[in-house]
Amino acid sequence: MITRDFAYHAPADLGGVTAALAGGDAVIVGGGTMVVPDMTHGRTTPGVVVDLSRAGLAGLTQTAGGEVVVGATTTYTQLLRGGELAPLLRRVAGGVTGGPQIRNKGTVGGSACYANPSSEIPAALLALGARMRLASARGVREVAAADFFTGAFTTERRPDEVLAAVVLPSPDGPAFGYHKLKLSESSWPIATAACVRGPGGWRVALGGVAATPLLVTIESADPRHVRAEVARVLTEPWSDVLADGDYRRRVAPVVALRALKEGEAS
Amino acid sequence: MTSIGTSARKADGEVLLTGRGRFVDDHVLPGMRHAAIVRSDRAHARITGVDTSAAERAPGVELVLTGDQAARHTGPIPHFIDPAARGGRRAEVRCLAVGKVVHAGQAVAAVVARTRREAEAAALLVEVGYAPLPHVLDADEALLPDAPRLYEEWPDNVILHNHYGTGDVDAALAGADLVVTETVRIGRTTTAPIEPRGYLASWDRFDESLTVYGSVQNPHQLRWMLARSLDLDETRIRVVTARVGGSFGLKMQGHPEETLICLLSRLTEAPVKWIEDRRECFLSGAREQVHRVTVGATNDGRIVAVRDRIVANAGAVTAQPGWAMPNMSATTLASGYLVPNVEAELHVVATNKPPLNAARGFGKDGAHFVMERIVDLVARGLGADPAHVRRVNLIPAGRFPFRTATGLNIDSGDFPGLLDKALKALEYDTLRARQRELRDRGRYLGIGLAFELTPESADGPGTFVSGFDVTTVRMNMSGGVTVLTGVTSPGGGNDTAIAQIVSDELGVPLGWIQVVQGDTDRCPSGFGNFSGRGMVVGGGSAALAARDVRAKLAVVGARMLGVAPEEAEVTGGVVRVAAEPERSVAVPDVAAAVLTRAFAVASEVEPVLEATRAFKPGNIDHVPDERGRIQPYPTYSNCLHAAVVEVDPETGVTTLADFVMVHDCGVVINPALVEGQAHGAIVMGLGAALTEQLSYDDEGRLLTDRFKSYLLPRAGDLPEVRLEHQVTPSPFTMYGNKGAGEAGVGGAQAAVANAVEDALAPFGVTVTQVPLPAPVVLDLIERATAK
Amino acid sequence: MTRVNVTVNGRAREIDVEPAKLLVHAVREDLGLTGTHVGCLTGDCGACTVRIDGATVKSCSVLAVSAEGAQITTVEGLAGPGGLHPVQQAFWDEFGFQCGYCLPGMLLTACELLEDDPDPTDEAITLAVNGNLCRCTGYHAVKRSIRCAADRMREGS
Ligand SMILES: Cc1cc2nc3c(=O)[nH]c(=O)nc-3n(C[C@@H](O)[C@@H](O)[C@H](O)COP(=O)(O)OP(=O)(O)OC[C@H]3O[C@@H](n4cnc5c(N)ncnc54)[C@H](O)[C@@H]3O)c2cc1C
Ligand code: FES
Ligand code: FES
Repeated sequence: MITRDFAYHAPADLGGVTAALAGGDAVIVGGGTMVVPDMTHGRTTPGVVVDLSRAGLAGLTQTAGGEVVVGATTTYTQLLRGGELAPLLRRVAGGVTGGPQIRNKGTVGGSACYANPSSEIPAALLALGARMRLASARGVREVAAADFFTGAFTTERRPDEVLAAVVLPSPDGPAFGYHKLKLSESSWPIATAACVRGPGGWRVALGGVAATPLLVTIESADPRHVRAEVARVLTEPWSDVLADGDYRRRVAPVVALRALKEGEAS
Repeated sequence: MTSIGTSARKADGEVLLTGRGRFVDDHVLPGMRHAAIVRSDRAHARITGVDTSAAERAPGVELVLTGDQAARHTGPIPHFIDPAARGGRRAEVRCLAVGKVVHAGQAVAAVVARTRREAEAAALLVEVGYAPLPHVLDADEALLPDAPRLYEEWPDNVILHNHYGTGDVDAALAGADLVVTETVRIGRTTTAPIEPRGYLASWDRFDESLTVYGSVQNPHQLRWMLARSLDLDETRIRVVTARVGGSFGLKMQGHPEETLICLLSRLTEAPVKWIEDRRECFLSGAREQVHRVTVGATNDGRIVAVRDRIVANAGAVTAQPGWAMPNMSATTLASGYLVPNVEAELHVVATNKPPLNAARGFGKDGAHFVMERIVDLVARGLGADPAHVRRVNLIPAGRFPFRTATGLNIDSGDFPGLLDKALKALEYDTLRARQRELRDRGRYLGIGLAFELTPESADGPGTFVSGFDVTTVRMNMSGGVTVLTGVTSPGGGNDTAIAQIVSDELGVPLGWIQVVQGDTDRCPSGFGNFSGRGMVVGGGSAALAARDVRAKLAVVGARMLGVAPEEAEVTGGVVRVAAEPERSVAVPDVAAAVLTRAFAVASEVEPVLEATRAFKPGNIDHVPDERGRIQPYPTYSNCLHAAVVEVDPETGVTTLADFVMVHDCGVVINPALVEGQAHGAIVMGLGAALTEQLSYDDEGRLLTDRFKSYLLPRAGDLPEVRLEHQVTPSPFTMYGNKGAGEAGVGGAQAAVANAVEDALAPFGVTVTQVPLPAPVVLDLIERATAK
Repeated sequence: MTRVNVTVNGRAREIDVEPAKLLVHAVREDLGLTGTHVGCLTGDCGACTVRIDGATVKSCSVLAVSAEGAQITTVEGLAGPGGLHPVQQAFWDEFGFQCGYCLPGMLLTACELLEDDPDPTDEAITLAVNGNLCRCTGYHAVKRSIRCAADRMREGS
């Protein structure tokens, strides 16, 4: 049960959202798959709830400049059905567990803003070099994904800001690979690797293995090189009840190599 | 006979499919209040004070109750299985902690409010003061002389210390060609039914009577227990088992909340409902053991001796029967193998973890894991095929009844037959060849076999673990049949199978029969469900009662037809002349005659179309033999499991590739229901083998408190599990049927463990624990390769 | 209290709920449809599954107020005047449940799957029910039931 009362707003547009957030003490509900249970279990006790479901933030569009704007409330199911513009995100969406019920509700923005070390979207956004478009009553600003994830469950987002969209620099992520390691279907992802081919080699973002996703640039998929690079960035591996840091340290390069192998074949 | 042996659909199917199954949380009574429980966040501490003032002032709150207050109105909760009766120690268990807490999660205070939300909000406001005491979470540590003690009146932390087995293990080991010693650990799991526990108690102050709706397995025992703890006359209590959303042992009684919620209703004079939340449900443990085993074998693969020192972590003492499970781990040792010399020493140890509660497998699973590991270790030590070592040691078909070294008197079986069928289903030789081929390509396939012996339908003298049960068959004036039985169904569908039995025995269509279970005011005094007893004793007693009623129908029907009773038969809803089937009279007409023409055509029978009978299997024997062994089980279902896994050596992830179980539970009453039980139990065992584990922090607080940290198997984790049957009828039950429902957990767990070791044989890995989640497997590989 | 208008199993309903109320509790308590169950309140088990505007969701992770204007289908809405829905029928015939606690989630996700994909692969069936925990059946009969329903529905149409 959610024991604390709150005021509920479901604004019809982004302006309404930012206005509702301006008062403070607000929690945003995207798809609600994490935040509603968190309220039920007293892990967050807001005075105001701002529900994004009517704000019209879902969907993928391409700008004239070729960038892809993914609305924050785009669900995994929407990515699966119409995510041609964001194939890596679509690939991630297809592997999200919890059944169609979670894919129907869980959003890209929710995953990014929750910043759970075990969530998959953050690392994918990092690999894609995405920009996070944050809106508030004070205006709109963009933060690079690389700067957005500041720690476990914390981001650069200020309390009065909503993530309106993520902006992907190019539409079809020329070539990519993805690999996810989990203990079983019930398990959180333990380690993920998303790789996107860039000018200087593969941009490989590791998820699940540290408090924030980690980016490495890999020039060649030579296992020794990959292992060394992963070891270099993975200085403080994440530990939780499912797997300790030592395990994550050991599997991170394996997962990276598997993603790269897929990327090379793509 | 037409119905027995067929897969009649579940009688409650339509109700459940349309969302009308009434589970305990679906019951609403006028004026109903809701309870929430304040639980300890300390593993071991003295309670220095409970401040309820803020909670009492909170909106909607009607009562806040502390342990001291509860103790003024309730006595200790009597044990389902009294440890003292088994030579062990008893501790006083109260519905709310008095004086001190002995585990994190223990109920300390309770709140009653108008809504659940208000009750939960107020519970957060109760302030409990604690003075910490040193705590111990590990059973081996709890056995050390200077370990913190849970119960000051005890000299140590031992609930039960016992020896089992016969033979001369020392001599046999001395003469053995191969001796293997190993320590194996079984991690703490939990039953996790999807419906947690819940109770709705309603005290009637006019009548001074109590009605309890509960998600419970054993309504009559619960009534007895509540009468004791609440100091009420048993006749004033009615327990109604609401539909149960899975139980697996968890909902056997002895939980503090059963007494507590009744007390809250009595004190508030209102119906009070409490539904456990998922985090609370995860407090219950199902198993946690360490086995230090030594096994001796001869060069031809015969196992000549097993010594096992078992330490079982029972957590804090509970009135629930869970603490007794390790007893069965010891008793089931040597399982279905011809091991002449067995010596088991068992310590059941209290620690500051939450209590063990009864769980499907009831400890037998521990024996299976250990024995099956042993057999594989012997095979490995001798360089022999594990299937061969099993064949050499399994009790041959001609040797039954077979008394094991620990006293079990196995009724019947064809164990090598199971092995043959399993190997055939696997295409064992081809599979081994494929395994070699894959290994050469760096893929690690493993094959694991496990035999499982499931003693079922237990009887524990002096306890409410009863080896018999009682059923009433009652025909009404229209010929409709109500079956009132003492056994209950937690969802498996024994109500359907009992109706099938009554249909055949009484000679009326299945559709005429309504089975009523779980209501102490309606059903005869019985014992509910546990130990695969539903069909053995529920079905057996239903058959006897149905036969009595049919005999009357035959007498009266025959007279109506003008023939002798021997010439008449009852079938398909008519009494007819056996030799001239077209001459018949409808059963409803006969029923009406019995009840309305008692002084005429029905004058030869007592005009009661009702019979109540008990069924007691013939082979339970509590008189100790010359070596002190008793025989508490009438049936011994058995099965052979074969697991095929692939292990990813870089990540430690195990993928299940194939699974076969060949099952023998004697004659099967309803194949689909039995298969459903087996599938469920196997998957529970697969979870226990690979991913399910309760973890605690150093302070004894549960870390795995949701389904994303306590990992139940999901559809995508599983291969197509294949089942095959073998039928070796029991000589001692009504239809030759044996208990079904528990078999699967222990064998599946063991087969997977063996398969993982087999997969990793090139690395020299020895599997010494379950579960085997990926991090554990990767550690095993690294440790083995470092050697 | 907030007034919420919803269409439940085809009938317009109006309920007054606190914003803090979960949809699953509104369905069970305010709409009286107790066929939807609570197993975890964390979004993991799927026993609380309902369909909102056709899409399955875990109703423990949805605020009731957010359902304003929605079409909700619960397990009670599956059977029609002609009797059980073919998916229900198949689950009965194929023993797709034991205790039935997980059943609402299994049935509703199966219906959603078969509307999207009348002839699903085994993998698609597995993926569809992967969000629903069942502790009784081991999923074997669940998957068999969905396959059976798919076959019958295709033959029937
Ligand atoms: C059973 C289950 C299985 C799952 N499996 C996976 C998996 O396999 N992989 C995976 O990565 N994840 C998984 N998840 C997590 C999944 O819930 C998230 O990935 C999902 O995307 C969260 O989105 P949401 O919209 O529901 O977030 P919400 O719960 O609505 O919000 C999450 C957080 O983000 C904030 N927030 C939401 N949207 C915005 C916004 N636009 N701007 C600012 N703040 C916002 C909220 O305030 C909250 O703090 C699983 C969850 C469950 C319950
Ligand atoms: S109660 Fe909603 S998913 Fe379990
Ligand atoms: S049938 Fe009991 S949980 Fe699925």
